Amino acid sequence: MARECDIAVIGAGAAGVAATVVAARSGCRVTLVDTGERPGGQYYRGADMSSLPASGLSYAALAGDLDRLIAAGAVDYRPRTTAYALERESEHLVVRTRGDDRHRDDVDVMSAGTVILASGAFDRPLPFPGWTLPGVMTGGGAQSLVKGQGVLPGRRVVVAGTGPFLLAVAATLLEHGADVAAVVEANDPVVGSLRQMRGLTAGLGKTGDLTRFVTALARHRVPYLRRHRIVEAVGDDRVTGVRIARVDAEWHPIPGTERVIECDAVSVGFGFVAQLDLAAQVGARIVPGADGGLAVHVDDDQVTSVPGLLAAGEATGIGGVDAARVEGLVAGAAAARRSERGSALSASALDGARRDVARWRRFAASLHATFPVRTGWVDSVREDTLVCRCEEVPVSRVREAVALGARDARTVKLLSRAGMGWCQGRMCAAAVDGLCGFDDISSLQGASYRPVAVPVPLGALAAEAVEG
Amino acid sequence: MSSEIAFTFDGAPMTAADGQSIAGALIGSGIMSWRRTRFDDQPRGVFCGIGACFDCLVTVNDEPNVRACLAQVCEGDRVMRQEGTGYGA
Repeated sequence: MARECDIAVIGAGAAGVAATVVAARSGCRVTLVDTGERPGGQYYRGADMSSLPASGLSYAALAGDLDRLIAAGAVDYRPRTTAYALERESEHLVVRTRGDDRHRDDVDVMSAGTVILASGAFDRPLPFPGWTLPGVMTGGGAQSLVKGQGVLPGRRVVVAGTGPFLLAVAATLLEHGADVAAVVEANDPVVGSLRQMRGLTAGLGKTGDLTRFVTALARHRVPYLRRHRIVEAVGDDRVTGVRIARVDAEWHPIPGTERVIECDAVSVGFGFVAQLDLAAQVGARIVPGADGGLAVHVDDDQVTSVPGLLAAGEATGIGGVDAARVEGLVAGAAAARRSERGSALSASALDGARRDVARWRRFAASLHATFPVRTGWVDSVREDTLVCRCEEVPVSRVREAVALGARDARTVKLLSRAGMGWCQGRMCAAAVDGLCGFDDISSLQGASYRPVAVPVPLGALAAEAVEG
Repeated sequence: MSSEIAFTFDGAPMTAADGQSIAGALIGSGIMSWRRTRFDDQPRGVFCGIGACFDCLVTVNDEPNVRACLAQVCEGDRVMRQEGTGYGA
């Protein structure tokens, strides 16, 4: 029999923690499912928040409250657990979970009146020759090694791609003693930022972060190379350098500007992709986000188009950790009302949270306008550059699929196997669309449908079916 | 992360900090790659670092396809470089 709860929260990052605390404080029975070892998600990574000022509804305050609620048995917290499927069954939503990779057979089912999807995001990579070499990793990968594992990805690192996250990664690397050879930013954020000043000043806290990162770069004399892009990572069994070039506004390399920077690690990222597997499975309305990627559509209460399904944080569009936290507060309050309990969040606090959601969303939109992905990256791939890392599908095979008549990423996948491997297209979906010139959002949507979010052993499913 | 955990990598004795992931322990020892791909026999290591890309797969105690970036090292683990699918040729 499926275990029952009022509310299941998927993901224990800033959004999930905020939603869980508000819902549990309102008297709901909450189950919090998270892949990680500790609450905090990709931003806080289980950091000890006890030394930070825990005022009001800050993340530190919410994280402390969550610890107390878990200790008191008021929240059923399940770390190292991944929700792999979500479906609707009469008035309930059914969440199917699996243990970590060392406990893949530990499957479970729970039934919830309300589900809050706070599943976060991962880096959006784009292919270039050499991007599969060991030592080349995403910005999130570099952050997870330094902040989560206490190890550096290399001694001399090039940070490249686009977006303010490059600065955050570079600052983290510098703080932990790495040499950052350069930050290679394909856009021109100074000109862009001026245009977007109104949006930027709406989010003062983040502007403070940016100032801190830029100061760290200046102090260590790290070149911030705007309008530059990686065109190749070089090396034999691991990366030993990158070839970069100056690019025009559309990211086409300018002839004669190429040069090589020696390094032993590369951190790359071109924004983020929301984890929408469960939302897509249950048929929630998915729309283009401000960054051109996919996002779950939500109303002012964070309610999706599916009855009982709410969403908060990056799943509703890439917006950063502060947007995630305040959306989590709103979602927690809405979920409590759905469970016919008075919300622990006062009416004025809820109004304030809603205003903050709007404010952070404006800020995110201005950042996305400043750091778009331009089409010129395609110039740098070669016919033998891998697009799909899992199935080792090169550019030539993807182009063959288009020549055979494929007009969307799903058809490319069926013809070429790009997106058919372990990661189920998470790393290549955006690249396939860019490479083939599919700018239709339905192509990305078709390539992002995953009936099972992580691999589950058939034996475990069979045993579950027999035991009922 | 205080006490040390002992494990082996391809038979060689290694140590990890308590709570460290397999990827964290290997990279901390200067090892950047622990898998070779099925078709082109290419080296791979950490890419996304957060469990999304499945590039860092490794064989642990004879169980292949464990994401090294997520799995914590346990005392006595036998971690082996993974060739292809990890199930032999």
